[in-house]
Amino acid sequence: MRKIYVYFISLLFSLSAAELAAQDTVLFPLKIRVGFDLVGPGIYIYDNDHLSLEGYISFDKSEKMSFVLEGGYVDYKYSQYNYDYHSTGFFGRAGVDFNFLKPEISKGRYWAGLGLRYGLSIYDNETPMYDQDNYWGTFTSSIPLSSGTGHFIEVTPGFRTELLRNLSLGWTVRLKVLLSGGGGKDLKPIYLPGYGNGGKNATLGISYYISWNIAYKTKRVITKPVVVEEPEETEEEGVVKQNTGNM
Amino acid sequence: MKRLASFLPALLIVFFSALIMSCTPGACFEETNAFLKASFYLDSSKEQVAPDSLTLSGLGQTDKIYNKAEGVQPALFPLNASAGNSTFIIRINGVYDTIEFSYSSFPHLISKECGYSVFHTLETPEFSQHNIDTILIMNRNITTVNEENIRIFY
Repeated sequence: MRKIYVYFISLLFSLSAAELAAQDTVLFPLKIRVGFDLVGPGIYIYDNDHLSLEGYISFDKSEKMSFVLEGGYVDYKYSQYNYDYHSTGFFGRAGVDFNFLKPEISKGRYWAGLGLRYGLSIYDNETPMYDQDNYWGTFTSSIPLSSGTGHFIEVTPGFRTELLRNLSLGWTVRLKVLLSGGGGKDLKPIYLPGYGNGGKNATLGISYYISWNIAYKTKRVITKPVVVEEPEETEEEGVVKQNTGNM
Repeated sequence: MKRLASFLPALLIVFFSALIMSCTPGACFEETNAFLKASFYLDSSKEQVAPDSLTLSGLGQTDKIYNKAEGVQPALFPLNASAGNSTFIIRINGVYDTIEFSYSSFPHLISKECGYSVFHTLETPEFSQHNIDTILIMNRNITTVNEENIRIFY
């Protein structure tokens, strides 16, 4: 009986070893990335009234997920026939990125996936002039400088690819939802740094960024285990019959 | 990478759509003037009845807001944002009265495309009583929303 027990335990271990020997693995570099956005400076070349500077740092937690921290500064001016507006401020976003590419495809060089962000904006704004026409004539006034704080969340699908060693380019579409814009119900900010039009509950944005990355660790990732079928064991029946006679 | 390439056209469409949407200037389709909205009631029956003839103008203004208009309900009174009060000459069914509204004013952002409006908070009005019997305040907040502010009983 004891010999049967020992034999079956040995058989169990030998089957497990046979399965592990046939698995595929890939060495995946986990990286730290530092980058900055190109859209903001590009817009500033076209429109000197809108300056947006933004940078980010990310840390690969695994082959599937990264932690991301973004931040920036905005100086925004807008003018139309019935008012002038000026907003300046800082913003920050924190969140995670999920890579939908398989490790054996991305290899730490390509990223296609989705990000989630929480954003905070701290700003000053003023309306140096606004006017309104009605029955009594034209009324002209101004709104003095005031401070505010806004919060928002984002969903950011996008792509990234490594062009040169340690240098990547990528872009994301930013689907933003405003949680709170500040300014009360009468004086919402026309432009909320990091978000956009403070009068809209949802808005869209784009980031196109260049980043420098360096691997801090290499992780062995099992891609697809292969199950190997073992042939039937005939010796087992002879041992069982022999032991049955002794009992 | 082949699967990645198959998603590329759709993602490019999303990318450029977002770019276009974020850059396209909008137009203003909203009301930007805040009027005081006054409903007319017959004092004898307390029923809502529009005057047969209504003439309304601001004190010192040459233009008339309403000129012998029929069936006006409600009447829209524009308030002077440059002052703390506005006086109107109102003629209901051929009889003149004056109404003076006192109020405080503050700016309100309509939208980026429309700009700012001036909203008001109404205080108790003063009026002559040749034809007007009483004025009731229903809502002191004078905004662009279509809500009754006062009831004029004549």
